[in-house]
Amino acid sequence: MLQYQTPLLVASFALYLVAFLGYLMRRPEPGMVLLWPRVCLSLGFLSHSVCLVIRWLEAGYLPVTNLFSTQFFFSWCLVLVFLYFEYRYRIGSSGLFVVAVNLLLLGVALPRDPAIPVLIPNLDTPLFTLHIVFSFLGYALFTMAFSLGVLYLARQLGMQRLLELRQLRKLNEEAIFLGFCMFTLCMIAGCIWAYIAWGYYFSWNIKSLWSLIVWLFYAGMCHAKFIRRWQGTGYALLSIAGFAVVLFTYLGIGLLLESNHPLD
Amino acid sequence: MSRNNSLFSRTWQLFCSLKLAIVLASLITLLAIYGSLVIHGHPALFGNLDQLSLRSWARQLPTGTLIMTWWLSAAGLLLILFSLNTLCCFIDWALHVRARWRKSGEYLIHLGVILLAVAFAWGSWAGVRSDRQRVYLHEKVPVPGMPGHELIVDAVEPVMNQQGRPLDMLNQVRLVKGDQLLAAEQVRINHPLSYQDLVVVPVSFGQEAQGYECFMPGLGQLQLIRGARIELDNGKILRVQGFYADATRIANGEVVQQSSQLQNPALLLDLSGPGIPAWRGWYFLREQLPFQLVANGIRFWPVTPIFNTYTVLTINYDPGADLALAGGSLLLIGTLLTLASFYRKRRANDRPEV
Repeated sequence: MLQYQTPLLVASFALYLVAFLGYLMRRPEPGMVLLWPRVCLSLGFLSHSVCLVIRWLEAGYLPVTNLFSTQFFFSWCLVLVFLYFEYRYRIGSSGLFVVAVNLLLLGVALPRDPAIPVLIPNLDTPLFTLHIVFSFLGYALFTMAFSLGVLYLARQLGMQRLLELRQLRKLNEEAIFLGFCMFTLCMIAGCIWAYIAWGYYFSWNIKSLWSLIVWLFYAGMCHAKFIRRWQGTGYALLSIAGFAVVLFTYLGIGLLLESNHPLD
Repeated sequence: MSRNNSLFSRTWQLFCSLKLAIVLASLITLLAIYGSLVIHGHPALFGNLDQLSLRSWARQLPTGTLIMTWWLSAAGLLLILFSLNTLCCFIDWALHVRARWRKSGEYLIHLGVILLAVAFAWGSWAGVRSDRQRVYLHEKVPVPGMPGHELIVDAVEPVMNQQGRPLDMLNQVRLVKGDQLLAAEQVRINHPLSYQDLVVVPVSFGQEAQGYECFMPGLGQLQLIRGARIELDNGKILRVQGFYADATRIANGEVVQQSSQLQNPALLLDLSGPGIPAWRGWYFLREQLPFQLVANGIRFWPVTPIFNTYTVLTINYDPGADLALAGGSLLLIGTLLTLASFYRKRRANDRPEV
């Protein structure tokens, strides 16, 4: 079945690209549904999901153990998050940034070798799957929050054909809240796994420390939305700053520094 | 009395304050960012943070390092204040739970954070870590932090892949107290031995040369390891007093061990018997037999090294581990409840407005 993974992935990429261009060029009124980009994106997600299931069944585990597979899975999470907001709130082109990041990730992943590496015993535990799934869902939601934060500021500066400020703020808060919940579950699974694998649940390794920083930052944001001064613009700025922290934690440490979570 | 009440009331209000929580969390975050870069930039000072409990690590710090470690103390203090703030918020909620029961999920998260902070502090203070401890087969190893308890490794079986690279290690480990068996487990990757506050995880394994199997005409194969005693003819006794896998003779004539790698093995031998002068000396296996042995008609040839298998275990004692697990469980339940509550409130169009 693995022979279908590349055609499926290419089909997903093509459908995502068509949907992206559709949202970009048509830019419907806020709240209106632009049907065909939504259908393209949904079909692309379906193809992407089938590819993921094929890889999972063939490998016998959720294959997120090298750079190709992490990019593959993160892009899947990004589309899932976009579709959640699109079907629930009809965000349309307001989620373009998330689709763009997804295209970038898949575009970089496609030329890479899709071969699934053998699972090493260190990763052979259900806690690994839980940790990874919640981690990438959290990152995807924080990416959406960043996107909504930027749009909030753009709307404040007068840019039209975007969702209302109130709606953008509500969605931003929801993205932050859901991202924080997912990341909390990720940290719980990670800490239990660390105790079982290393003998301690908290490590001073830079990746673990920055994961805690991400958690603390967004825990603070979940409280900040109740402070009048931090509502609206302040919250949008925090969403942008939080994304910088997430980028450093996910990419910066994995690629540039030595940690217990190498990306390669 | 009313002044005291007012002071207590104001202090209580401060410690229940949402703004205080945000300020403290922000300060801890900023300190942690700074600290993470300091840790990464000074591996010689911070490299063993995970191998020791925080208290043990702080005790072994050289003098004059305050400039690089002050942030840890500051973060600790802020964490204590943050935990107090969280605890006060939780107590305040609990006192008004009838009106605020819808926020049960959020406050279970708060309680989970408090338990985790206390557990971490407790483990950092009273915990003991023994990282990468070499344990030989059948050797009794005292357990750090648990007086009277010992670990025994009965078997070590490495699991290799087709290319011969080690994948896993299967260790049959027993935890005993005197003659009483407390726990027995096959310890391997992601499957530790866990007993009360103790956790034992495998790290590595290896083999160490302990001696040599030699051939002696008339006696056949002999196991020359430390403590071996060979009875020869005419009442002579040859004893093995020591073995170095990689020995060298230094300037003053003393023989020392260079490494544990099997490079230049040497046996410390002792010959005694009726009518012969007692002799003690080193036999470097890559060289000729010492004259004193040959002169007494003793000849043998090294055949193959004798290896003793050992496993490398991390043995950690953390009295706060169970409390941390309880905190994590509350975090999990609180998060799930909060998620459910969020969607229920959204359905009811219930959200805070400006």
